[in-house]
Amino acid sequence: MADSLFYIFAFFTVACAVGVVANRNAVNGAMCLMLCLMGIAGLFVLLDAYLLAALLVLVYAGAVVALFLFIVMLLDMQGGVKRPFKKMTAVASLASLGLMLVGVSMLGSRGHLATLPSPAAAAAPVGAVLKNYAELLFTTYLLPVQVMGFLLLIAMLGVIVLSKKFEGMEDIK
Amino acid sequence: MPIQLLQQAAAANEWLAITPELMLALLALLLLVLELVLPRQLHTLIPATAIVAQIVIALGLAFNFDSAFTGPGTAFNGLLRLTADGQFLRLFFLVCSIFVCLLGTVCLAKQRMPRVEFYHLVLIITAAMMLLAQSNHFVLFFVALETVTVGFYILVSYFRESPLSLEAGLKYLVMGALSSSILLFGIVLLYGAAGNQALPGGSPNSMNFDQLRIFLTDNPGNFLASAGIVLVLAGVAFKIGAVPFQIWIPDVYQGAPTPVTAFLAVASKAAGFAVLLILTQRVFAPYQGLVIPVLSVMAAATILFGNLAALTQHNVKRLIGLSGVSHAGYLMIGVIAAYHEPHAIGAIWFYLSAYLLASFAVFGVMAHVAGPNDADQELDHYADLARDQPFLAAVLAIGLGSLAGIPPLAGFMGKLLIFVSAFKAGLYPLLAVAIAGVVISIYYYFGWIKAAFFPAWRPTDAGLPQAAVPARTPVNLGVRIALTVLAVTSVLLGFYQGAFGQWILTR
Repeated sequence: MADSLFYIFAFFTVACAVGVVANRNAVNGAMCLMLCLMGIAGLFVLLDAYLLAALLVLVYAGAVVALFLFIVMLLDMQGGVKRPFKKMTAVASLASLGLMLVGVSMLGSRGHLATLPSPAAAAAPVGAVLKNYAELLFTTYLLPVQVMGFLLLIAMLGVIVLSKKFEGMEDIK
Repeated sequence: MPIQLLQQAAAANEWLAITPELMLALLALLLLVLELVLPRQLHTLIPATAIVAQIVIALGLAFNFDSAFTGPGTAFNGLLRLTADGQFLRLFFLVCSIFVCLLGTVCLAKQRMPRVEFYHLVLIITAAMMLLAQSNHFVLFFVALETVTVGFYILVSYFRESPLSLEAGLKYLVMGALSSSILLFGIVLLYGAAGNQALPGGSPNSMNFDQLRIFLTDNPGNFLASAGIVLVLAGVAFKIGAVPFQIWIPDVYQGAPTPVTAFLAVASKAAGFAVLLILTQRVFAPYQGLVIPVLSVMAAATILFGNLAALTQHNVKRLIGLSGVSHAGYLMIGVIAAYHEPHAIGAIWFYLSAYLLASFAVFGVMAHVAGPNDADQELDHYADLARDQPFLAAVLAIGLGSLAGIPPLAGFMGKLLIFVSAFKAGLYPLLAVAIAGVVISIYYYFGWIKAAFFPAWRPTDAGLPQAAVPARTPVNLGVRIALTVLAVTSVLLGFYQGAFGQWILTR
């Protein structure tokens, strides 16, 4: 049951990801992105990582994609002109197709994914329980959390520096 | 129980171990506060505060180089590993940041831009690079790397009134996001492979470098781990600009403000190599058979591409960017040699120090020759520099000579140390490529010196329009002292390495 569900979600996710890239209409692309994220959230649920699944749906599928849609509609983007097919495009597609085939065949022949013994009675994953997750963030991973704080600070500063209007500010010569 | 838990957490997080990083972060916050509370007339003091405070931190770090709380060992539950190399890199990044702030005062004066945020960003990036160079865990590694990268996204597009700067920022954003995702994919594959407890050496804590190394030692030839290693190396190669991941270098270096170009060229590259050394020598050491061929091919391609592409450049920022690509190639030879010859790591640190001195000397001159349009710095603008500003021309000649590796200068000693290590390690084909690269590089470095020293050809016909050369900035006292120190140290370090030479041999 879990295996077939995994395949269903995996194919759904990949199909939606292809839809994001292939769609000419930006709104449809953003909607495909949302479905793709839903598929990933489903995969997380299968792995017992309920917290991650909920966060993914709330933050990415909810907030971020809504922001995408908002901006797409604000800019009123059209489908764009279809580019003429060039020789280089064909060469590049062939080369990338070849590379992908080599990669997949290598994974099939040397990956031995199926022959791995199943992990012996592992403890419940950390992501499953909110309390464990929070405790780790405030003990083991305290330093990265603090560094993230500075990352958000400089990101905010960057938005101000790169987008604020300077007219009428006496501070700037 | 909660109190015990808090005590445990407090005991595991040794904040004293990262005193220099904390001081830099607090200084960065202090700058923002100063901008709020100081009256407008005193705002010119803020860059001076940043530079002086950093010099104080650097001196404190240098005098406490071997002190107890920064001695070898892990901190923060194994997230950080404090080593002598890490201590050296802290000092290295701090010196870079001081010079970047100094160049910032020269370049920002020509622009209508907010000032304080620039210094704030430089300080935060420096602190994050220090953490990056000492990280011992993929979580801290990635968070620190992202902080550095996000800071650079902003700094590269800082001169937003110039379209080239914005274009460079966008290109760097796209390429940086791509490289981060490749790196992250590699990390996830390694975590997944090493997290399987059914395999020998598998551990739930497999993001930790020590645990990962145990797993890799126990499982030679694991396919997933090999794929992860290649992807992680590709992500790091993006940061150091090694072929085939060098595509962003010329455009970003040209569009970025000159101090940021210097920061990218020196500090970002050094951070990349610090990470590459940690990963290849410590973590991926059991997979030498995979790593060495990959790095060897990349090193040879990087040296040849960088030097050949730099030959045809007329914009000095593109030229120095592409020559920086070739320097990354020489350094990669050092990384490969370090597998057989432990002195090679010391040679890399010496090479990077010589590269820092020479690069900041050259960038210091570039900041003064550049006009208000920072992206437009052509070789022709250096005409008659030796006649009009002999001081700048002399610094330029020493810096470029050191970058080219001309004998009495520090750059020569750096190349010599790397090449001797490569020779001892038996890397003869790579050595041949590197020497050919050095010979090619002399052509473009001396072309630049020629533009500055020899009288420029001018059309004798008065009717032809003269090429417009932007007005050069006069050199103020602080920058004059800094450039003199850079040039004199570049010369001295070539003759006498002193305590530094001792340290790199015995570290």
